[in-house]
Amino acid sequence: MSLVEYALQATLGANEPWPDDVVLFQQYQVEQITLPDYAQVLAVETFLHMCGLKFRVEQRTNAEEMSPSGKVPFIQVGPYLVSEFEPVVGFVNTKGFTLTKNMSETDRSEMRAYMSMIDSIMGNAELYMAWLNPDIASEVTKPRYGCSYPWPLNWVLPWRKQREVKAKLKANDWAYKSIEEVCEEVKICCLALSERLEKKSFFFGDSPTELDAMVFGHLFTILTTILPGGHFTSVVKEFSNLAQFCTRIEDKYFKLGFEQ
Amino acid sequence: MAAEKMKLEVWRGDWGLPSIDPHCLAVLSYCKFSRVPVEVIKTGNTWRSPTGNFPVLRHRKATFSRVTDIFTYLRKEHWGSDSHLSTKESADVVAFSAMLEEKLLPALLHLWWIDDKTYVDITRPWYAKAVPFPLSLFIPHQKQKRAELRVLLTKGGDHITDAETESKVYKEAKECLNLLSYKLGDKEYMFGRQPSSLDALVFGYLIPLIKAPLPSNPLQSHLQQCSNLCQMCNGILTTYFPAEVKEYEDNKKKEEQQKKNQGVRADVTEFPNRRRNMILAAVFAITSMIGYALATGLINVQIKDSEVTQGNRKFRTPPPQSLQGPQFETPRVLEEQQENGEE
Repeated sequence: MSLVEYALQATLGANEPWPDDVVLFQQYQVEQITLPDYAQVLAVETFLHMCGLKFRVEQRTNAEEMSPSGKVPFIQVGPYLVSEFEPVVGFVNTKGFTLTKNMSETDRSEMRAYMSMIDSIMGNAELYMAWLNPDIASEVTKPRYGCSYPWPLNWVLPWRKQREVKAKLKANDWAYKSIEEVCEEVKICCLALSERLEKKSFFFGDSPTELDAMVFGHLFTILTTILPGGHFTSVVKEFSNLAQFCTRIEDKYFKLGFEQ
Repeated sequence: MAAEKMKLEVWRGDWGLPSIDPHCLAVLSYCKFSRVPVEVIKTGNTWRSPTGNFPVLRHRKATFSRVTDIFTYLRKEHWGSDSHLSTKESADVVAFSAMLEEKLLPALLHLWWIDDKTYVDITRPWYAKAVPFPLSLFIPHQKQKRAELRVLLTKGGDHITDAETESKVYKEAKECLNLLSYKLGDKEYMFGRQPSSLDALVFGYLIPLIKAPLPSNPLQSHLQQCSNLCQMCNGILTTYFPAEVKEYEDNKKKEEQQKKNQGVRADVTEFPNRRRNMILAAVFAITSMIGYALATGLINVQIKDSEVTQGNRKFRTPPPQSLQGPQFETPRVLEEQQENGEE
């Protein structure tokens, strides 16, 4: 939560270096994690890689319950737990690592605007697709979400989670959209990103920013996850510069990382 | 092309604004920017709307009730105020619009509907007055419920308290205002000299905050510090809605003059039928007291025939012993007087 990060800024300065035993917690990647959660995890991982910070990924079945805000991913730095993308960015900034040092105020405000766009459009669309589309929810999301629990729980917990997501999407009117309308929203979002990116290698200037990490997290997840219907994948694939952007980031920050 | 005129239904306005709802204001100003020939109906009757909310745009049997849908439809009908924008700027419009909805709207909903003071003093009375009678009993409450769900479910959760949610929502909104202020810089509108749909949205969200008589709150004071945003919104209001501003100022002047004219008799104007009401109240109180006294037997009225027989005055029936309290026996006195006179 941003509130957690708020309190931390007072107690933590740049004097403490980045410790070696930073851990990022997430659910089991192959069997358990759901599409919206994985997009968030990947965004945070990419951001930490871009900052050149060392960390270790730990997979836990109950990562969601361990997190202070109830959402994955979260990182453990010394005695502190920080969860979700924006608080992690804020926390890392207090440690003296930032990706937006030389940006003008206008650029920075545009970057924040694009980040909120991804958060609101992509985030909600992923939740909609994963939990409200009946085929995907019953075939993919619910079995995965409940995979680590024994019988009555593997039915109850996904059902409870689904109800929670439904209530949230009803509150912001996303639940009343049809699947076509949701795809249209995703398309508008991708179009805006694609026009902003043009032929450049990063969104702002020639170095990566938080926005690049976030875009990669969401688009790469959509491109590589195979879901029944495959609605979003086909939408994102229409934008060739975005797909190229994803492969470029993957090569730069993930392939090399594994070799090292 | 547009043989049939478009009809736009919006929440009615107040405080010199054409409407008080951010989304209605956004659509209205978009229509003004691109000179859409639209018939505006200011209403509060939510039965007219398919979703129970405004704005609603009707054109050739098609009905739209979401701002984005209305903008898309108008663009399709070639009424666009965004045609001068480059593709990159159009992308910025999408991004900033999403940011407004994600960061600023929750704070506004919180301020209008969840903050107790504003809700009780301004929001609820306003909607109760604007909405016709049977609906006005539950529409304000229903709208409040929706706003509450929207803010608490999207921004809060099981893991943080309501107070923490509140400070988070306001912090995000202030940050959002700063970003908008940077984006605007010292330009006239967000993208140079011509207004766009983004300006319409910003205007819709911010102008009620500037104009409404809200109790002091952090968001309003923060907005007043972003002087370029205030300037832009006030500019749009005076340039595109001069009629409403003028009407409001005239009304205000008239009211002030009336107050001046009446001066001392301000309390009389406040309660126009004061004397009549006082008399009615007194009459009612007296009647009920007397009624009570009679019913419980505190007062006993006895009406007697004056005499049993004309000739036998000495055998007049004596008053019954059981009666208590004053007894009215005027007839006897009168008769005795008459008797004396005869002698």
